Amino acid sequence: MTDALTSCLEASVRTATPLALAALGELLVERAGVINIGLEGIVLGGAFGALLGAGGNSLTIGFIAGCAAGVAIAALFALFAVTMRADQIITGTAVNLLVLGLTGALYRGLYGATGAALTIPTTGSVAVPLLARIPVLGPTLFDQPPPTYLVYLTVPLLWWWLYRTHSGLAVRAIGERPDSVRVAGIDAHRWRWMTLLMSGGLGGVAGATLVLSQSGTFAEGMSAGRGFIAIAIVVLGRWRPMGVAIASLLFGAASALQYLFQAMGWRAPYQLFLALPYVLTLLALAGLAGRKIEAPAALGRAA
Amino acid sequence: MIAPAESLALENISRSFGAVRALHGASLVVRDRTVHAVLGENGAGKTTLMRVAFGLVRPDAGTIRVRGRTVTIASPAAAIALGLGMVHQHFSSVPAMTVVENVALGGRGVYRAKHVRARVREVCELVGFELDPDARASDLSVGAQQRLEIVTALARGARTLILDEPTAVLAPREADDLLGMLRRFADTGGTVVLITHKLPEALAVADDVTVLRHGQTVLAQAVGAVDSVRLAQAMIGGAPPIETRHERRAPGAIVVATRALGVRDARGVLRAKDISLEVRAGEIIGIAGVDGAGQHELLLCLAGRLAPSTGHIERPADVGFVPEDRHRDALILDFDVAENLALRGSGAARGRIAWRPIRTCAAALLTEYDVRAPSADTRVGTMSGGNQQKLVLARELESRPPLVIVENPTRGLDIAATAAVHDRLRNARDGGAAVTVYSSDLDEVLGLADRLIVMFDGRAREVPLDRDAAGRAMLGAT
Repeated sequence: MTDALTSCLEASVRTATPLALAALGELLVERAGVINIGLEGIVLGGAFGALLGAGGNSLTIGFIAGCAAGVAIAALFALFAVTMRADQIITGTAVNLLVLGLTGALYRGLYGATGAALTIPTTGSVAVPLLARIPVLGPTLFDQPPPTYLVYLTVPLLWWWLYRTHSGLAVRAIGERPDSVRVAGIDAHRWRWMTLLMSGGLGGVAGATLVLSQSGTFAEGMSAGRGFIAIAIVVLGRWRPMGVAIASLLFGAASALQYLFQAMGWRAPYQLFLALPYVLTLLALAGLAGRKIEAPAALGRAA
Repeated sequence: MIAPAESLALENISRSFGAVRALHGASLVVRDRTVHAVLGENGAGKTTLMRVAFGLVRPDAGTIRVRGRTVTIASPAAAIALGLGMVHQHFSSVPAMTVVENVALGGRGVYRAKHVRARVREVCELVGFELDPDARASDLSVGAQQRLEIVTALARGARTLILDEPTAVLAPREADDLLGMLRRFADTGGTVVLITHKLPEALAVADDVTVLRHGQTVLAQAVGAVDSVRLAQAMIGGAPPIETRHERRAPGAIVVATRALGVRDARGVLRAKDISLEVRAGEIIGIAGVDGAGQHELLLCLAGRLAPSTGHIERPADVGFVPEDRHRDALILDFDVAENLALRGSGAARGRIAWRPIRTCAAALLTEYDVRAPSADTRVGTMSGGNQQKLVLARELESRPPLVIVENPTRGLDIAATAAVHDRLRNARDGGAAVTVYSSDLDEVLGLADRLIVMFDGRAREVPLDRDAAGRAMLGAT
């Protein structure tokens, strides 16, 4: 039973990793008042970039390429949604469709119509000395692929940046009132660009994680809604780094539970468990209704 | 005595927005350690000129000097670096953030709340303000929000403080306190530029005065060398408009009556408490109170826009209602004149709209109420604030409702438009309507009202029509 629990928890963290990376990036841009629906495209682009980069059998280059692809797509989004002040939702949707089409076409062009047999090496897990030996928690938290450790680093760093630096304060203010921060000498466009590029990097790595740490292959549309889930995670996590980390874990656990229940021979349809995180999100949103809403006030508004 | 050196000088500034020449050849020279009043009607270019000084608007032509050095101010950041600070008419603090966070905005490097908190305390002590450093800006009263803006500017190192109509949102006592603080600030080495359209204010506190009209400087003198008549003439470029005399008749029957009325706002907070009042046909009830004293909710309830939570109210079904924020609550700026007129009562209306009679009627109303719009098809967003307000009045008064409720009816209007609005309200009264007027400008309330009710902390009290008595009651004194 302990084994089953451990493997379920381990799977939760593993599944949560790309979600958390993408959601932490989205958290950043949403604090700056941008809602980037194009995150789905960034994750997909990151996955494809990782596939191209890892072609030479270097995982490091794979991750770097995934990250770069994410940054490039985020820059495209920023060009339209920030500099040209286009509607963020429409821009994001366009970016998603573009990336879906582009990666599909390139994939078929480069690897043939089927591309089925394509497999690339994966990172495998790296155990942290000592910590990994803690019962249950050790293998759950400290025997994971490298991107998971990136999450552990990003959460406190992001918190520190947002709450303990003047630039973080500026970003939060832009999310509340982009028009009025200008009189404080803050360049809203510049910071929206910066946060978008950072979120592009994180989202790209999230996509790379899918390819290089989990599946070992690429499939068209393999981001499978993870970018959208990440946006929901930001809401559930109340726009706070730690909240987002926990919410990611919740979504990861909900997916992992499905395997556990299948292993235990439960006959409930798996879609029920797939729906669980979304039900949680709805409940969380309903719970917010009576209280003060914590979303950045200028979310989605041009600056 | 040697005249102090100049602190800020704007010379021959011109700026056009499209076809509109907001400024052409406007100049302003502010001497160091003085309070300098900038007077002018709405649209005279006062705010644009100050936005030029603060780097928010680039001038098409002209020179700017700060402490004798010619400079280019390309952004607010550059203005702040030159020691300029601006307190905008519409506050620029971030509501969801604390006082400390707001003051810290625009800084660099690691943000240490402790240091900023100490700086806030230091500045507050220096200028004699009370301000809780850890309060959220959204929880502050309007007066405190303004203090926050001033503290923010000073904490960023401003030596020249530009304030845009700072007393417009304050109760008389608060306004006096603020002007006193500005005077002390100038006396202790600072410089103040005070944008205002209130003559007495300028005469009371300023050393120098500059008057703008149609984007040009028409007068620049020491306050001692001018009087209010000359200033008024400079502002409006001729004789001031004469208000029509009105014969008051005895008030008639009771139109609206409340008993122990309690009203909650949208968030469920009890704003108006235990209010019993009656308004009769043919009288204007003036309501005064500092922002948030419950007058807004009371008026919404009288107008039937908000249900009472306790007590009784008897009111007519047809109420003419002119809300405070005409852009948000009275007009749809993207609609044309006729469409906006058709909005009245449309919540209860059903079926097809007969546009032709509405357009005919709209054209007639434009003439009758002197709304300057080319036609009934004019988009309301392209009209001036004064014409928009006249349009709202036309719509609300046209059916001769027995009850008229008006909130801040002349906010943002110039002298001529203000006089026109006041005239309309008096006409409505003389025509037998019960009129209730709230204005954040106590003098406006006193000028219109036949009876005065002052709100404080949700409670209403009838007070004699006297400026001092009303001012005291607004702050809760008896």
